[in-house]
Amino acid sequence: MEKNSRRNFMKTLGASLGVAGIAGGSGLLNSCARVESNTGDKIKLLTSSGELVEVDKAQLKPADMPSLAENQKRGRAGIPGKSWVMVIDLSKCRNARECMKACQNHHQLRPEQHHINVLQMQDAEHTAPYYMPKPCQHCDNPPCTKVCPVNATFKRDDGIVLIDNERCIGCRFCIAACPYSARVFNWFEPRDAEKYAGVTYNIEANVPQKKGTISKCLFSADRLRDGKLPSCVSACPNGVYWFGDRNEDAVTNGTTKETVSFSELIKKNAAYTLMEELGTKPRVYYLPPKDRAFPFQGEIENQHKS
Amino acid sequence: MNKIESPAESRKMLDKIMTDLTRSITKKDELTRFWFFILIMFIIVGVWGWIIQIKTGLGVTGMRDYVSWGMYIANFVFFVAVSLIGFLISSALALLKISWAKPISRVAEQVAIAAVALAGIIIVMDMGRPDRFLNVFLHGRFASPIIWDVTVVTTYLTISVLLFYLPLIPDLALMRDHMADKLPKWKIKLYTILALGWKGNPEQYKIIYHSMRILMLLIIPVGLSIHTVTSWLFASTLRSGWDTTILGPYFVAGAFVAGTAAVIIVMFVYRVRYRLKDYFEDLHFDYMGKLLVFVCLVYLYFNINEYLVPGYKMKLGEGIHLRELFVGNYSVMFWFVQLTGLVLPIVLLLFRYFRKPFPIMVISFVVLVASWLKRYIIVIPTLEHPFLPVQNVPDHFKHYSPTSTEIMITIFSFVSAMLIITILAKLFPVITMWEYAEEKGIDKKYFSEKP
Amino acid sequence: MKLKSLKITAIMIFLSLAVSAQDWIVPDDQKNVANPLPYNLENVKKGKELFLKNCKSCHGDPGKNNVLPLVPPPVDITSEKMQKNTEGEIFYKITHGRGAMPQFGATISDDDRWRIVNYIQNFNPARQPMLVNAPATKAKLLASVNEQEKKVEIFAEYLAADGYIKLPNAEITISAKKNFGNIEIGKVRTGENGRAIFTIPETLIGDEEGYVNIVVALDETFIADVVTLDKAKVGQLKQVQKLIRPGVLWSTNENIQIWLLISYICVTGAAWLTIGYVAFQLFRIKKSSKTESSNIS
Repeated sequence: MEKNSRRNFMKTLGASLGVAGIAGGSGLLNSCARVESNTGDKIKLLTSSGELVEVDKAQLKPADMPSLAENQKRGRAGIPGKSWVMVIDLSKCRNARECMKACQNHHQLRPEQHHINVLQMQDAEHTAPYYMPKPCQHCDNPPCTKVCPVNATFKRDDGIVLIDNERCIGCRFCIAACPYSARVFNWFEPRDAEKYAGVTYNIEANVPQKKGTISKCLFSADRLRDGKLPSCVSACPNGVYWFGDRNEDAVTNGTTKETVSFSELIKKNAAYTLMEELGTKPRVYYLPPKDRAFPFQGEIENQHKS
Repeated sequence: MNKIESPAESRKMLDKIMTDLTRSITKKDELTRFWFFILIMFIIVGVWGWIIQIKTGLGVTGMRDYVSWGMYIANFVFFVAVSLIGFLISSALALLKISWAKPISRVAEQVAIAAVALAGIIIVMDMGRPDRFLNVFLHGRFASPIIWDVTVVTTYLTISVLLFYLPLIPDLALMRDHMADKLPKWKIKLYTILALGWKGNPEQYKIIYHSMRILMLLIIPVGLSIHTVTSWLFASTLRSGWDTTILGPYFVAGAFVAGTAAVIIVMFVYRVRYRLKDYFEDLHFDYMGKLLVFVCLVYLYFNINEYLVPGYKMKLGEGIHLRELFVGNYSVMFWFVQLTGLVLPIVLLLFRYFRKPFPIMVISFVVLVASWLKRYIIVIPTLEHPFLPVQNVPDHFKHYSPTSTEIMITIFSFVSAMLIITILAKLFPVITMWEYAEEKGIDKKYFSEKP
Repeated sequence: MKLKSLKITAIMIFLSLAVSAQDWIVPDDQKNVANPLPYNLENVKKGKELFLKNCKSCHGDPGKNNVLPLVPPPVDITSEKMQKNTEGEIFYKITHGRGAMPQFGATISDDDRWRIVNYIQNFNPARQPMLVNAPATKAKLLASVNEQEKKVEIFAEYLAADGYIKLPNAEITISAKKNFGNIEIGKVRTGENGRAIFTIPETLIGDEEGYVNIVVALDETFIADVVTLDKAKVGQLKQVQKLIRPGVLWSTNENIQIWLLISYICVTGAAWLTIGYVAFQLFRIKKSSKTESSNIS
């Protein structure tokens, strides 16, 4: 009797979760990149979850597979009306690195290439160490796009700093210019290059990666176009990330899916941006590592002590 | 200048000057062939290294995501620096009517052309996608210092070639007219084409003087900007060690040191190899020594500014950088560069003995090596210490050390520069003959006489 | 560093193995600490709220076995494994955490942690459940928006023995749809007549035209469909700033600064015109030699 009633009461919760699952699945093909395939009926597609899937060609609408030129055009324009921001709650991070794994999987990165890197930080000699996930800060005064000689990296109206690796000449000036060490270079053939061979380039995921070009965090712009949270945000098991549109003043937690007011969240928790003294105007906000959910267990390598 | 009146004497004198100064062209021996053989071997090895680099990716170098500019960029800055001497000697000193510098101007231009050409090649070799080099012109972004650099390097190379070529035209005519029996046919043909049918009439001389003067004026802003813009590749970033306002003049001053040393070495080689004792006199080495002291003093002044001011404040990032240089991993290199490349030449070259050709050549060689190392410690230590800690990457990402491929390609650049200089010396006189003859009091009318 | 990170990974793997292999030992003196808060409806209810906010993301819904797939896996709070802990043990574990389990000592007050313990106790077979005596009731929710007055009018009724009748004093949550989820904008209780009126706050931001999608939901003790009110014109206009404007140095050539372009073109143009002029002088030299030779002949 007791158990029965408990089950009933849980049903409502379960139902709402189920609905969310279906809604997530329907966006699977929205921003797929096209693969030139010789097999005729079947075609290989790259989904925004970073998987390669084989689909019947007849099932696809032309809108599902934008050509390279269209993809580059809309990739440069951005998603209208949005102003993406990320809030990282340092008190929640326990260095689980699920974000790094999900990101490397989505963006075809080698194990040593990090679009997002969880750093072990200590600000001064006697202050408490903490973990700090560090994606690209998507600065509103980006030093990297300033120096690019060929317009290959650029800022979009929705705030994302993107790279066109069909254009990049590999001069690495942007790496030198970025104070956050957010950029990586393809020093060799990228991971699984054969698997991704022939996939049409998707500028919003920077996949397939290309040897001799730059890559970096792009807030999973391809997923945003499908209405999904960035890979790292969704993958975090600890509720570290909040992500949303500053224009509508709302951010959603990737773990709990809770949505709150962006301005209140950063006001209440005294959020700060990284190295604001450099004038880069980052779009990534950090909540200080106060009242930490997990003890720091790393070995701090303090470069500042050298 | 004493005018030599007697036609016979004039002709005899001119003949001697021509014989001496074309010795580099007429001389053919085993050593020359061996020299070319060595150079070409190294060039082949370097090109092979580059092919490997293109095939495998830039990963064959020691560069990685943090130290993403390495020896290539250091080398690029070095070559741009060396090239600046062309502007100093053949323009600045010439405009100041410093006559002792006249015979040296062609050597300076040779060095400038070779260095700036190689700077251009090195930067292409440093690119991740050299196949997309044309994007620089197709999609060039005018706000990027790299575009300014490409523009100014091309402009400087063009002006340097013209500055080399214009005073060469009368020489080419001289050789065309006087040396048909001593040289192979293709060379004479080349001279005939390049001499543009030179007759030596006053109008033509006027055009030469006029054009030279324009170019000498033009090369001053271009020369200054070539190295200033190169310094902006670093100064326009936020990194500790590069983020400084004096980097432009600092680079220009350093460039004069490197270039002066390079020219002294080439002068010495010509003097010995082509028996040009009477042309590159002790006096020239003496003056070049004094010039080197002067530019070293200027550079020392900028060095003090560059290190004392941030060292006084020791901001976090600057502090790490400076400690690394003064007492850290780069301290040996740093103090070698500062002492032997800057302080020592200033002290030694104050003594007349050290301004004699051989000692000054040795000192210049050390200075040149130090200049190269200086660029190395300008580029690399800064990149090894970004603002945020370097973590979760393999160890070789954290400290840069060049690989064999990188060294091969860097040697290639030196060898190629030497090859260009050698070819120029083998084709054209290393001193402007007509100017020199005129200086010695031979009237222009004897130049255009056919034998 | 490589060694270090290897070491850390090795330790972590060892730890997780150790964790899955052994039980989580709580010091004896902590084990039998008594719960200072009484086991009553108030505390269990509060505990449930706290659980939903802090624990659910990993431990899932009680009894659903939908825990987050971690290694080692979190334990469902209704399970035997959880319930054989003493209250003191549960309290200790919430306080100190281990591995993937956060330490809530700093973030949740002592009393609140005991309330969570009370909520977990609700599923202990030895206890009388506090929360779930009433079976979930079917209910209906009706809502409409008054755009003029910026109000949501709500009517709720539930299924009684003799059909649907009005539902008094029920908690209704009003949210607005955002990009990635619904943001709660307020709660309201129905009156005696089953009706409620919710005034939409002035600060609510809609889309560029002020449209908001409003979601109205009934307290989860009822089974009722959520009402979605699409495109209600009740919000502030969303302000979209144009980020990329002419003259910013970091933008592409399309927005290049005029002063920069003019300087570049003037300086480069002047240099190359001069070079061109000198090149032209070369032709004059050539021409001059030809005219003279023709004069002589």
